[in-house]
Amino acid sequence: MKNSYLNFEHSSANLVRRLMLTFYKTIQVRTFMMATLVLISGSFFSCGDNYLDPVPSSAISADVFYTNEDELLNAVINMYDGIQGVNALDNSDSNANHAIQVEFYITEMRSDNTKTKSSEGEAAQFENYTLRPTNGIVYDYYRSFYDVLKRANIVLANIDVASEANKAKIEGEAKFIRAYAHFNLVRLFGDIPMADRVIGIADTDVQFTRTPKAQVYDLIIDDLNAAIASLNNAYKNRASKAAAQAMLAKVYLTLGTNYTEAQVLCEAVINSGFALEPNFNDVFYNENNNEVIFSIGFLANPASDSQGFSAEWLNSVGRSSGVNYVTNEAAAALDAKGGNRAAYSYRIDPAQPTQKQVAKYFPNGENGGATGVTFNSNPRAAGNDWIVLRLSDVLLMHVEAIMAGGASTSAQAALNSFQKVRNRAGLTDVVTSITKEELLDERRVELAFENHRLFDLIRFNAAQDVLSAFSAANGYSFTSTDLLLPIPQREINLSQGMLTQNPGY
Amino acid sequence: MKFIQIINKKYRQVLGLAAFISVIAVFISCDPALSAFEFDLPEAGSIADATPPTANFSATQSSIDYRMYNFSNLSVSATTYFWDFGDGNTSSSLDAVNTFPGEGTYTVTLKASDALGVESIFSMTVDVVEPEAPEAIVPFIREAGFEDNSPGSEECGNGNMDGRDCWRISGGTIFGITSSPVRSGSQGAKFDAGSNRVAYQALTVTPNTDYIVTIYYTIKTSPLGSAMRLAILGNAISHASEAEDAIIASAIGDNQDDANEYLPLVLSFNSGATDTIAIWIDSNNVAESRIDDVSIMLAE
Repeated sequence: MKNSYLNFEHSSANLVRRLMLTFYKTIQVRTFMMATLVLISGSFFSCGDNYLDPVPSSAISADVFYTNEDELLNAVINMYDGIQGVNALDNSDSNANHAIQVEFYITEMRSDNTKTKSSEGEAAQFENYTLRPTNGIVYDYYRSFYDVLKRANIVLANIDVASEANKAKIEGEAKFIRAYAHFNLVRLFGDIPMADRVIGIADTDVQFTRTPKAQVYDLIIDDLNAAIASLNNAYKNRASKAAAQAMLAKVYLTLGTNYTEAQVLCEAVINSGFALEPNFNDVFYNENNNEVIFSIGFLANPASDSQGFSAEWLNSVGRSSGVNYVTNEAAAALDAKGGNRAAYSYRIDPAQPTQKQVAKYFPNGENGGATGVTFNSNPRAAGNDWIVLRLSDVLLMHVEAIMAGGASTSAQAALNSFQKVRNRAGLTDVVTSITKEELLDERRVELAFENHRLFDLIRFNAAQDVLSAFSAANGYSFTSTDLLLPIPQREINLSQGMLTQNPGY
Repeated sequence: MKFIQIINKKYRQVLGLAAFISVIAVFISCDPALSAFEFDLPEAGSIADATPPTANFSATQSSIDYRMYNFSNLSVSATTYFWDFGDGNTSSSLDAVNTFPGEGTYTVTLKASDALGVESIFSMTVDVVEPEAPEAIVPFIREAGFEDNSPGSEECGNGNMDGRDCWRISGGTIFGITSSPVRSGSQGAKFDAGSNRVAYQALTVTPNTDYIVTIYYTIKTSPLGSAMRLAILGNAISHASEAEDAIIASAIGDNQDDANEYLPLVLSFNSGATDTIAIWIDSNNVAESRIDDVSIMLAE
């Protein structure tokens, strides 16, 4: 029995042993496979979206930065910083975005108002109509304002973090900036890629498709209407209801439609509490005066907030030897029709008396003294704000809206607005009717060197006539295709054939 | 042996010289000057022009002279241009300007060619039309004399054509009809004393235009202090309560000397930034008043 007991024990122990052995063998053979099975099935359940793409915990990225309204306001201020552009004094990298600081090259210098002093460099391409698609200043403006569009679209993409009380206002502000940037780009380049959202690197269809102008204008009008509905008139250096109304009136006048609506918009701005400065000079040297509706703010200090264009308009004070110099034609027009505005709009270059300079934006109010180059503050770090919209522009747009595409008007409302502008200029003779030519001339002498002339000529259908004559008289080579800028060559190259160039380039 | 060595040496020299000469010859014969191709056929080795000229242009009418057009040349890959304006004028400049002899339809053709003599032709018809100075609208006032079955009043009010339907406004009490005294026709509008009656009619006008509205009124001689008001509203309204805020011009007539004599009440106004205005007539309800013959015209 003992034997059997032992046998049994043995046999059970054996059994156990054999079971365990089998078990271990199984494990050994299958371990690897089972481990793999476990891991594979585990991977289906354990990895979240960010497993391979973790949010950096020691740094902030744009995807996750905007979590509350204060952070969103950083993005709002960033839009204006984008429009300010970089002052070459602060950052001499030629690939930096100079934005509004180079706008005068592609507007005023392409008109019959200004030119370079010595016809040198890329800037001369603007004045003599030999512009090439490789022009760096054109590319500078283009990429600057697409950057501004991105900044505006980032605000709109993150608008949900704003409080209910301020959400509509912040949205309106971003839409105003988006409309402002699109409006300038579409007037300058024609059909353009439309940035109605943040454009990613992979969105090549958006980056390189030239959306038809009509569609871009639809977005501009929608954005401005949203701005008008939600903004108030608290700011002059930021978007305001009046700025959006004035800009929408300008859009309608540019399209040649909705004249009555444009008139209503102008009247709304005129009745919003703005007033003409009694002294023309004060418009430009009394910062944020009652006439200013929207201006881009600059400060002399710090240099990163200053502007460098005031210095460029003087004789070798900035990096160039002198650009945005006044043409003889513009000086003659100001002398003949400007009244007291002529003295405050241009002056003889003290260092080179055969040349004439713009007098509206002397850096920090200093005109450089007898030599033109003596300054107390650094002229290359100017704090002069750049005026985008002011009341007298709106008064003249009021006349244009009442004229409604006709050849003249004698409606009393138009005469009143026109008279106000002229009275301030010392031209107090009573106006009884206004023709289209008179309105165009008045705009030239009132808004000279404020980047309006080229757009006014095009809008009044006078660009080809006036600029052909101007070009012939000065030995330039204007052709009608020069009224649009070329799409920058770099963009054409990057698009690998998707972007088409404007005719004539 | 020596002879062979000498021969070998010379042979090598000759070989070397021959090799040298042949190398030079190869270089000379590969001279890329055009004369090297003189026995090649023309077109051999050339590539066809991938961008032949394409003619294109746009036309803009001048705003100074309606017969003058500016033509903007949008051609691609061309060097010479020839414009035919369809009225006998031609030009060979890049951009062109042409003054047509008068109204009409002209076919403008641009022939663009390049140095290879390849031509491209593009035509466009230009319709020269003298732009009309748009006539200012003088609106038609319905039931201007408050007569029954006045022309155009079928579309107004409750359709009974009693001379009042086109003057109704929700929230306001319509005036009554009087047959004596009237100024013309057989009916006039009566504004009873102590009863707040109103007349309203919206009209389509040209913006920023001066108009003159005239009505004729008479008020009973007593009680004194009664007056009729003729006003213009700057937009159409849908309820009488909106009238007061919409008034852009008004005039008062308060002559009570003769209960039977109709006197004119005239109001000048400018339509401003709208194409719809409305006439509004009411009274201060002191004495019974009548009006007749409402008219509107352009101020000269």
